[in-house]
Amino acid sequence: MNVLRAWIEDRLGLSAVTGFLAKKDVPRHKHTFLYYTGSSILLFLVIQIVTGVLLGFYYQPTLAEANASVVRIMTEMPLGWLVRSVHSWSATFMIALVFAHLLGIAFTKAYRKPREATWVTGVLLLGASLAFGFTGYLLPWDELSLAATKVGTDLPKALPVVGPWLTQVMRAGGDVTGDTLSRFFIFHVSVLPLAAMAFIGVHLFLVQRHGMSVPHEEERKGVNVPVLPFWPNFAFREAGVWLVLLGLLTTSAVLAAPGIGPQADLMAPAPQGIKPEWYFLFMFQTLKVFPARVLGLNGEMFAVLIMMAGMAALLLLPFIDNRPFERKGKVITALAWTGLAYAIGMSIWSLL
Amino acid sequence: MKLPYSLFSRRAFLNSLIGGWLAALGAAFISPLVKYIVPPTREPDQVSTPLADFENMAPHTVKGFAWGNKPGFLKKTDDGGFIAFVGVCTHLDCNVSFVAEQRRFYCACHEGWYDENGLNVAGPPPAPLRRLAVSVEGDALIIKKQA
Repeated sequence: MNVLRAWIEDRLGLSAVTGFLAKKDVPRHKHTFLYYTGSSILLFLVIQIVTGVLLGFYYQPTLAEANASVVRIMTEMPLGWLVRSVHSWSATFMIALVFAHLLGIAFTKAYRKPREATWVTGVLLLGASLAFGFTGYLLPWDELSLAATKVGTDLPKALPVVGPWLTQVMRAGGDVTGDTLSRFFIFHVSVLPLAAMAFIGVHLFLVQRHGMSVPHEEERKGVNVPVLPFWPNFAFREAGVWLVLLGLLTTSAVLAAPGIGPQADLMAPAPQGIKPEWYFLFMFQTLKVFPARVLGLNGEMFAVLIMMAGMAALLLLPFIDNRPFERKGKVITALAWTGLAYAIGMSIWSLL
Repeated sequence: MKLPYSLFSRRAFLNSLIGGWLAALGAAFISPLVKYIVPPTREPDQVSTPLADFENMAPHTVKGFAWGNKPGFLKKTDDGGFIAFVGVCTHLDCNVSFVAEQRRFYCACHEGWYDENGLNVAGPPPAPLRRLAVSVEGDALIIKKQA
């Protein structure tokens, strides 16, 4: 065994990594629980990869077979319903945690120097997560997923200059068709995973490089912040959190498996009372109540431009709020609360 | 000829020459890919349906037809003529349905309404339903893009 270990060490030099992990400390304060959000996202990401590959064994991304193959997975394949349910629920858990991770960092101002690049890669990963959700939603090819995709891919059209071209690229032409399904499938299982892996690599490297950010209010107390060794103390706590989350995931997946609607029909009217996935509800409601014309401009374009500006501001937050780490940043905290309240309020409104 | 001074060093000049050449080469490789990712649009120039299918409609009723891979609607007018629409909401592209009792078109995605002539009357739609030109030629009904 030791010979084998020495052989591997000679070739890979992994002791640099294990040595780092053995010495790594995690600061201990009243916001330490925020650190769990990042690692829990990784847990759900692994579950997504495994269940996604399993679904890919039987799924067929064509106009004629997509809906039928998902029905087959649900009804004929051994435990197929569970695999799909876990994939769907794990996506929900992962996106919820991504939002929690983002808010935690916004509140503790952990994006400030020197962690700007970590934040930017994180926001890009948020975009990738939402893109995974959006592309995956079409794959069962039922009435709801068709209507949601028509709306979602029509949105960029309102943007000046590149808008119509972007819509055509997303749809593979002017309309949502079987080509859109192929395109969404390849993005969902190939383009987005590759991009996400690259960004996760950079993100995790930067997190290790800079160490865990300690909220400044802790440092202001004037005492040294106590630390917890990453191995084994913090890793064991993390394992506990993961077990609880796995329990919640399997319980939700078993008790509330997602259904599937009738096969999408390109000619049929949009179904009554359609709603997107919960993480898009606030945008959906915004579009619904936005007036058709604002200040003589197309209201849709206005709404899309506001959303794009919001996303750009989120991406560039560390450069907008580039003050030293010691500053409190009450405005950013207030904005984060406002954004959260807006998203929750609009989501609830859309469900009424 | 030797200049007393220059804004450019020889190295900077050669670097930008090679850099520009590489950028042009990259653009030449990428441009076909950009072209490839958008397929040609498949909207039909015209659609022909048997007139017999639509002849006996009462005024103010609406019947569907296929406009390529989108739904189309034909409405019979008071004077016995037809008007045609593409049955796609002008807000965010959902397919609309005709609510016969109210003589209005309805989009379920964001609750948009159009009257029986396709005019946007309530909700978020910014423009009327797209009109198509209808003509009767022999025993066929020809629906074309509006000029």
